[in-house]
Amino acid sequence: MSGRDTDASVDEDHPLSAGESLALIERQQAAAQRRLGVNPALFYGPWGVAYLLGFGSIFLTYPTAVPVRLPGQVAVVITGVLFAVATVIFVVTGTRVGRGLRGPSRGAGAMYGWSWTLGFCALAAVNIGVTRLGLPDDAVTLLWSGSSLLLVGVLYLAAGALFQDWFQYGLGMWMLVSGACSVFADVPGNFAVVSLAGGGGLLLAAAYFALRPPCRRLRHERDRVHV
Amino acid sequence: MSAIGSMSKPLPQPLPEPLPELDPVIHAQARLRVTVALATLATGDQITFPRLQQLLEMSAGNLSTHLRKLEDVDYVQLTKTHRRRIPVTYVSLTLTGRRALEDYIAALRRLLTPPTDQPGG
Repeated sequence: MSGRDTDASVDEDHPLSAGESLALIERQQAAAQRRLGVNPALFYGPWGVAYLLGFGSIFLTYPTAVPVRLPGQVAVVITGVLFAVATVIFVVTGTRVGRGLRGPSRGAGAMYGWSWTLGFCALAAVNIGVTRLGLPDDAVTLLWSGSSLLLVGVLYLAAGALFQDWFQYGLGMWMLVSGACSVFADVPGNFAVVSLAGGGGLLLAAAYFALRPPCRRLRHERDRVHV
Repeated sequence: MSAIGSMSKPLPQPLPEPLPELDPVIHAQARLRVTVALATLATGDQITFPRLQQLLEMSAGNLSTHLRKLEDVDYVQLTKTHRRRIPVTYVSLTLTGRRALEDYIAALRRLLTPPTDQPGG
């Protein structure tokens, strides 16, 4: 096979020095990770906005020290729209990231994605079931906000363990603490906690990933090849 | 043409020590990029030809040529299959290929690291 002739026709094949080779490896590795992965800011940002503004708007429907009052229906619409948008972005981003790939990582990613759906379906079933017994309104409110944040926290812990990502694990712990605190803040303080601590935490996480240099983004210990 | 006969003396070496051997299959810009991109996938994961092509911004013909060369030395594995009756080719780095890239990077590092004195010597 006259491989040399074929090589000569490829303009990229001028001989590289060792330094050029290492630089090329680093560039290519960063580019591949950036294009194959997804910036976690895309996952955290929309949820952070939904938590901050959605639960923030619900907080403002109560008479509080804040001199702004929102009608209940407005808050429900704001929260519903923001959560729907965040869900769509989450599903679309999660689906696109696995495009053209198959193998163990894809399977693990799909299972993790489904654990959000399954978890929240089960949470809704449990909460509705308990509410049926006739809980006071405030208890129902606290049950939903507290249990939702608890589940979010646990799922971030799972992601941290799955992807060997301490940052995500730490975010999970923060969400667990926020969820527990929200219940003790009573109504409507729970909405302030979920909005500011939960949403604020997610937005800080999004900002961290958005502002991180691209080459460091998504650099998990996925293989043994290190540059 | 008597110059041939006078070649018995060793020529002065421009380099003081031999360079570590670099894998000639990987030490070509295009194939190095292909190998590195495939190495970012976890072991056992596969990528379709079009997604790899898009990732590397290479022409299909160019990528095919280089993949064939990498396949010839068992650095990559091409799996042809069908998805909804459409033929799909999946590409993955073999363990041999992953090890070859590791060795190649180690050789580059040796080349770039200035020789140091033996410790304790």
